[in-house]
Amino acid sequence: MRGDGVHEIELTVNGVVRRAQVSPETTLLAALRDSWGLTGSKLGCDVGDCGACTVLVDGLSINSCLLLAVQANGRDVVTIEGLGGFEYLHPLQAAFERLSSYQCGFCAPGMIISAKALLDENPAPTELQIREALSGNLCRCTGYTKVIDAITEVCRDHAGAVGVEQSV
Amino acid sequence: MKTFEYIAPESLDDALEAMERHGSDLKPLAGGTDLLVDLKHTLNGPRIVMDISGVPELRGIEETPAGLRIGAMVTHTEIEQAPLIAEHAPAMIAAAVTIGAVQTRNMGTIGGNLVTCVPSLDSGPVLVALDALVTMAGVGGKRQLPLTEFFLGPRQTALAPDELLIDILIPTAMLGRPTSFRKFGLRKGQALALVNVAANVKVEEGRIAETRIALGAVSPTVIRAVNAEGIVTGKEVGDTAVLREAAQTAVTEARPIDDFRASAAYRRELIAVGTFRVLEEALAQATTA
Repeated sequence: MRGDGVHEIELTVNGVVRRAQVSPETTLLAALRDSWGLTGSKLGCDVGDCGACTVLVDGLSINSCLLLAVQANGRDVVTIEGLGGFEYLHPLQAAFERLSSYQCGFCAPGMIISAKALLDENPAPTELQIREALSGNLCRCTGYTKVIDAITEVCRDHAGAVGVEQSV
Repeated sequence: MKTFEYIAPESLDDALEAMERHGSDLKPLAGGTDLLVDLKHTLNGPRIVMDISGVPELRGIEETPAGLRIGAMVTHTEIEQAPLIAEHAPAMIAAAVTIGAVQTRNMGTIGGNLVTCVPSLDSGPVLVALDALVTMAGVGGKRQLPLTEFFLGPRQTALAPDELLIDILIPTAMLGRPTSFRKFGLRKGQALALVNVAANVKVEEGRIAETRIALGAVSPTVIRAVNAEGIVTGKEVGDTAVLREAAQTAVTEARPIDDFRASAAYRRELIAVGTFRVLEEALAQATTA
């Protein structure tokens, strides 16, 4: 830590080493969005209920609004930008798009990250397991049916292949 | 969020020394799922936040001569996945999976759940039913208390301002004992318990030799329903009327409140239903074991 309370942090975000100087109260979400311009992860409730800020840290899904950026120092972070972009869509992103699984899209990055965390651990979940895995991600416009349809379709079409880390 | 100084000690001694030096100016940070929410909503936050994730003494789940030791920084997800918990205290897993959502369980710790000490804490009833002990440490040394003496009231524990919760111990005699947990909420996901309840029984030669019933969310803190326990203990397994009587007695031992989630009257119904079910389930485990 520097004497003025600013911490130098270095972590891997979507396979790229990122550095920033952050004050201690900066959340990982704020660092992602404000320091590195990775605005896919969203600030929703800011208290860990809505899941719009969900990212993977060392492979586990967490609420990035509840983790300090300094706590993420040295760790491996994956955000929605790490799954795909305009040139290439991750199968989950493609299925969400094809099935119109979201309207406003605000919850979708968190939903897709939670779905990826589930499929990395369990490539063939039951519908109940999908629902439980997404219980920390709230949608206020489309509803959940099409989200579950999209994840179910990905499991069916890509059995065993979804857990592989895909880069942009 | 108001700014603070962030420190991250890598040994228990360093952590305890910092707590003694800074007293109430310092807040330990475990999983952060409660503390960060508090820090975002207070104008009067701590001067120092101490991340205790690097303190090795707070980690791990292991068998010791005294029982199963669970480090305070063990996350709910780690409890869900721990073979030692599945083998010796599977009811802890039944409780852990009802806490928050995946993200909160990946971050939140069992120690944090106990220290925050809301009346509805979901890890409380099973641990009370298993006679769990907690170890606290300060610079002056360690001390151990039964969990029932650790819980003092809503958001109040026996932890002194310069003490850290180190671990939770489930005594050897309790390991593998038939135990059941039930939680009632307004929905399945991310619900706060309206009532949560656990029962633990020891059956010998067809009789119930010991009973522990713990109720959560229906008193200022988790309580033992000792009168209900007294009704069950000594009776033969298979007498449903006894379980019904115990369930009704448990209702009289709780002090549920009316709030926007549920009425006290509804909570009393849930206590009766929940107590009956956990007793029935624990006894079923005992007779099929």
